[in-house]
Amino acid sequence: MSYILSIVKADYLQRTRSYAFLIALAVTIYVAYLFVPPHHAMYSTLSATGFKGAYNSAWIGYVSALMTTVMLSFYGFLLVNNSIKKDIDTEVGLIIATTPISNFTYLLSKQLSNYLVLCTIVVCTFLVSLVMFYVRGAGYSFILSDFILPYLFFAFPALFVVAALAVVAEVFLGKRNVLQFITYFFLCGIVMSQIATKGNDIPTGFNDPFGLSLVTSSVKNHINTTYHQDIKQLSFGFIFSPQKPFKIFTWNGIDWTGIFIFSRLVWMTFALGLVYFSSFFFHRFDFKQVVRKKKKLMKQFQENQESIISSGGINTASLPPIVTNYSISPFIKTELLLMLRHGNKWVWLLNACLWVAMFLVPYTIAYSYLLPILLFLQVKRWSDLTTKEKTNRLHYFTYASYRPLIRMLPAQILAGILLAIVLSLPLMLRSVFLLNIAAVLNIMNGAVLIVLLATTLGIVSGSSKLYEIFFFLLTYCVLNKLPVTDYLGSMHHGNEHTLTFIILGINIILAATGFLVRSYQTRHL
Amino acid sequence: MTLEIKGLTKQYNSQKTGLSDYSITIDKGILGLLGPNGAGKSTLMKIIATISKPTKGSVFLDGKDIVSNPDFIRKILGYLPQDFGVYPNLNAYEFLTYIAAMKGVGGKGLRQRIDMLLEGVNLTADAKMPIGTYSGGMKQRIGIAQALLNDPKVLIFDEPTVGLDPEERVRFRQLIAELANDCIIILSSHIVSDIETIADEVAIMQSGKLITKGDQQDIIRQAMGQIYEVVLNHNEVGDFKMRYKVIDTSRQNDRMRVRYINKDTETVPGSTAISATLEDAYLLLTLNNA
Repeated sequence: MSYILSIVKADYLQRTRSYAFLIALAVTIYVAYLFVPPHHAMYSTLSATGFKGAYNSAWIGYVSALMTTVMLSFYGFLLVNNSIKKDIDTEVGLIIATTPISNFTYLLSKQLSNYLVLCTIVVCTFLVSLVMFYVRGAGYSFILSDFILPYLFFAFPALFVVAALAVVAEVFLGKRNVLQFITYFFLCGIVMSQIATKGNDIPTGFNDPFGLSLVTSSVKNHINTTYHQDIKQLSFGFIFSPQKPFKIFTWNGIDWTGIFIFSRLVWMTFALGLVYFSSFFFHRFDFKQVVRKKKKLMKQFQENQESIISSGGINTASLPPIVTNYSISPFIKTELLLMLRHGNKWVWLLNACLWVAMFLVPYTIAYSYLLPILLFLQVKRWSDLTTKEKTNRLHYFTYASYRPLIRMLPAQILAGILLAIVLSLPLMLRSVFLLNIAAVLNIMNGAVLIVLLATTLGIVSGSSKLYEIFFFLLTYCVLNKLPVTDYLGSMHHGNEHTLTFIILGINIILAATGFLVRSYQTRHL
Repeated sequence: MTLEIKGLTKQYNSQKTGLSDYSITIDKGILGLLGPNGAGKSTLMKIIATISKPTKGSVFLDGKDIVSNPDFIRKILGYLPQDFGVYPNLNAYEFLTYIAAMKGVGGKGLRQRIDMLLEGVNLTADAKMPIGTYSGGMKQRIGIAQALLNDPKVLIFDEPTVGLDPEERVRFRQLIAELANDCIIILSSHIVSDIETIADEVAIMQSGKLITKGDQQDIIRQAMGQIYEVVLNHNEVGDFKMRYKVIDTSRQNDRMRVRYINKDTETVPGSTAISATLEDAYLLLTLNNA
């Protein structure tokens, strides 16, 4: 047991001592602040048409806990799904593989460290929710259990499952991050739709890892009974809508049932079972399957090894004369090549399908849904743009190269933008045919934005994770029609030009920040 | 061509100093850097390679300050870092073309240059394989090839022989001996024999400071008369190590032959004074300055 704790502790410290984690924490704290909007705000987090909850302890505690649970279940997965990968990259895994630690113990320790990372964030949002009670102060009495219990029974069990799923995804899908994301969010989508389609029965929690149905059902029943309404569904999440008249109702929380608490234990046991099951398939850092796939390649490689003819070294005098060429096109070519070869080839097939579909489906669908999804599928390619040098320990060469700042970095940015524009081409062509030049400009502006976000966040945080989480949240918001996140300009705004200029301004700030920080980094290794 | 380093200090934080008021002048030829871990060898090399800025001091290449004008040296620099990496999805050709672009090397002759360099480091047969499939030694050889892409006039090799097999080590030594005719080569290694074989001059460093610099014979001379050998029983060795700095031990029948440093005038009974090597001198000098 003590060595599990040692592994968990080391892993936890290693992951939390990074800028990426600190920035993610800071963003989470800000988002937690948004969980409890003022009643006159243009958005709500949990509401029914014409009704809003009074800001008593129960409302703030439960809503904060639920929002934390659901939001963190989504992006928390992205935050922690690289614990085994880290051991592969650093080759610590090879050392671990030679120790007596069992596969299950190793995976369990990874799950627990994932869980600790997520719990750290949960504790922060919990503290913010306490502060929010006084910030939104509506004169209600403070009841601590209204804060503690929902966090205890919603957030902590749900994130235990998320931590386990991150490990399981790494075991079964290896380094195929995009496939991991897709599978995970597909599963989440199924669970969320199950929760949404649940009837009027009192939820037991067995089909709801988040505990969301318990609260929504209680609030809905409370409104329907108190105000003689027939509300079928509540809206949950960051829902933006124009201000309409509303009534404020007082909701005092739920009665915790034994069956619900038992369902949390069942979910946690299920998570442990998944980790145990996956331990039978864990590669233990012996990548036989990779070798098998590359058997032909390796055979050729061995033949080559045998046929090496020792040469007489390098005669520098006979080398062709040096021709200087400071163009950035070779970098752009290599960056494109690296992006092309990055990740699984099946994702390219998916890309191709979506790309073709953008010609065929209705224009608004292509613009509002297919393009954001297609762009998000490239998240790993872009998140690696400025972090791969360090990950692959190649930064010694790039930083010591001739004028890295005005050659390397622009090439990386341009290659990223080129990929984004090629992917957006069907929609841009359709926009041109529709004489919608503003859309073309907005798409290009958006393409530049996501690439600059990738390069700048990568440079500043030194990790690809922050961008991956940010881009995920951005895509999530765009798909949910959150106007403020409309980086591609697919939604209707009051003033189209304002959006274009705002994004342009953000792009300039991002580019300047990226160049400034990289300029410092190139001389301070 | 002369590289002049004056009063170089690198302070990482209040507790950690990489270099402390370090000055040295390096001319054409091979300078071997010796020093224990943390002596500041890599820090010095990084500063010369312009990827780390000194807290104080300056570095001049032919009179031009490369701290404030790093691009001056970058065009003629070949650098092989200690723990460099590669892009595993690229093959050797693609990787070297990429590095050539970083160095501003292109044109029609580039492909031929890469071919010849790959042949020179024995990688022609595997040049089209992804570098991710290479062994440690092969990656190291790719590293050596990239350092030579731009016909460098200043070459910095940080632990270049790590991962090379004995045959490759010999080839590497021959290679840099050829290159030393018209460029500055700075080479750090923990393997004293590598330095001993090829370095024209040796600089010994410790705790960010230069202890000594000179040709090998000058340095070896400093250890003359202080290196001894004695044959001991196994059970005597432990106690002996407590009193003397032991350089080496080897088995001799049932006893142990011990090579050690003795700075006292009084000799251990049974000891014989032997001629010093560069390794002996290095150990003695670092011991004196510990």
